[in-house]
Amino acid sequence: MALPLPPGLTPPEIAFLCEMELVTVIPRQRLEGLELLGGPLKPLNPPQRSNIPLWLALLLKRQRRANILPPPWLNTHSLTAILDHETEHADTFSPPPRLPSQPSDNTLPISPPFLPTSTADAAPDALPYHWLELGEMLLEAAADDFEEPDQVRKLLRGLREVRMAKLRSGVEVLDAAGGIKMNGVGGMEVGEGRSFITGVVDGLRKIGASREQQRKDRDAEEAENGYSGTAGDYDDDEMDMQ
Amino acid sequence: MDIDDLLAEVAVDSTPQESRDLQELTRAWVAERTAPEILNWPEELMERVLERIRRQIELVEDQTGNMDPKTNFKLIVIQTELERFKFLVRSFLRARLKKIDEHPLHIRAQHTASLDTMQSLLSPSELQYLTSHQALLSQHYSTSFLSQFPASLQRLDDTTGGISMVDKPDEDKAVFVRALRDIGTVFIEGTDRRLEVKRGDVWVVRWSAVRKWAVGSGTGDVELI
Repeated sequence: MALPLPPGLTPPEIAFLCEMELVTVIPRQRLEGLELLGGPLKPLNPPQRSNIPLWLALLLKRQRRANILPPPWLNTHSLTAILDHETEHADTFSPPPRLPSQPSDNTLPISPPFLPTSTADAAPDALPYHWLELGEMLLEAAADDFEEPDQVRKLLRGLREVRMAKLRSGVEVLDAAGGIKMNGVGGMEVGEGRSFITGVVDGLRKIGASREQQRKDRDAEEAENGYSGTAGDYDDDEMDMQ
Repeated sequence: MDIDDLLAEVAVDSTPQESRDLQELTRAWVAERTAPEILNWPEELMERVLERIRRQIELVEDQTGNMDPKTNFKLIVIQTELERFKFLVRSFLRARLKKIDEHPLHIRAQHTASLDTMQSLLSPSELQYLTSHQALLSQHYSTSFLSQFPASLQRLDDTTGGISMVDKPDEDKAVFVRALRDIGTVFIEGTDRRLEVKRGDVWVVRWSAVRKWAVGSGTGDVELI
């Protein structure tokens, strides 16, 4: 019964997550409103656009009940611009879509796959978290809804290669402490890089474990003796040496 | 705060409970699949979700046999979604079972400690599974070989001699996290590293350093990805 998989999401699980992303469809048939487990589904009235989860959009598309409107970032113009940005900035990924304004404290903050980053009115200039999976799935199931599917496919491939190269060259900055910032990374990229990156960080930490332990002991001792009584006063070390 | 912020807040608050539960469950599932430790049992969330699944199954059973093509297609949609939900719940529970199997004694101690707080670590059925599985195992060990050892060597949770027999997960394991709110400076114990974590940031960081903010084990300001 216990799950036989190692920690971390497998590619099918990442695709499953991606299928919760909202996309915009133009229904070709009416569908009454439904009370689904994940919240009510509004009635679909052709030709009114509607935002629905990707899994449902794919189901409707396969049965020719709807057409999917590709998100604004998934076309040749936007992808070319993003690809240029990726090639120019060799160290970082292109920035993720702008977050909606901060919700108040008592509400649950929304994050991918529930941010509307792939609907028809999403930002055209940034790759959302599930860009690769979403792009691939739409190209596979709804290629006829794209203007230039082959061009888009080619650009996605280019983006993937540029970004994988960055992920690989990022290996050089890995160290025992961890703390690597990876803003703009995609879901599938996390999945692919996870075991290697966490493996290296964990391995290095184990090698340096005794030194770290010494330091922890020293810090604890100092805190006890009141040397660094005020936490955050980083000048203490230098003053001790004088 | 301008008018957009106000509007956004109203929009968030008007999200139906069902949608929020789906978001919460998804987050809990990803967290459980990626965290090195077992996380708190989200009791209220699971009660609501399981109850809804039960009702939805009843609805599907009621409507099967209806040959009207329109209702039929509605049913396909409902069933597809139902299967997705069942997968989420099942995978979540199985990921927890795996951790319980790996570190039973450690988790039992943690659970006992968590009884004093508001949040218990395990669900009643998980605790029952752990206890009876552990009872069967120790009985088996003792009849097959442990009983022939000297009495002082028969324990399975010996902690004398500076080495504990109770295995526990590696709490310093690196994890991928995304900040849902600004949380300020994070210190990594034993090193000089200090991280400035802002909303929307993605970091690779030790689990022990962010645990108190994580979903399922802390304030929920940081989610695992």
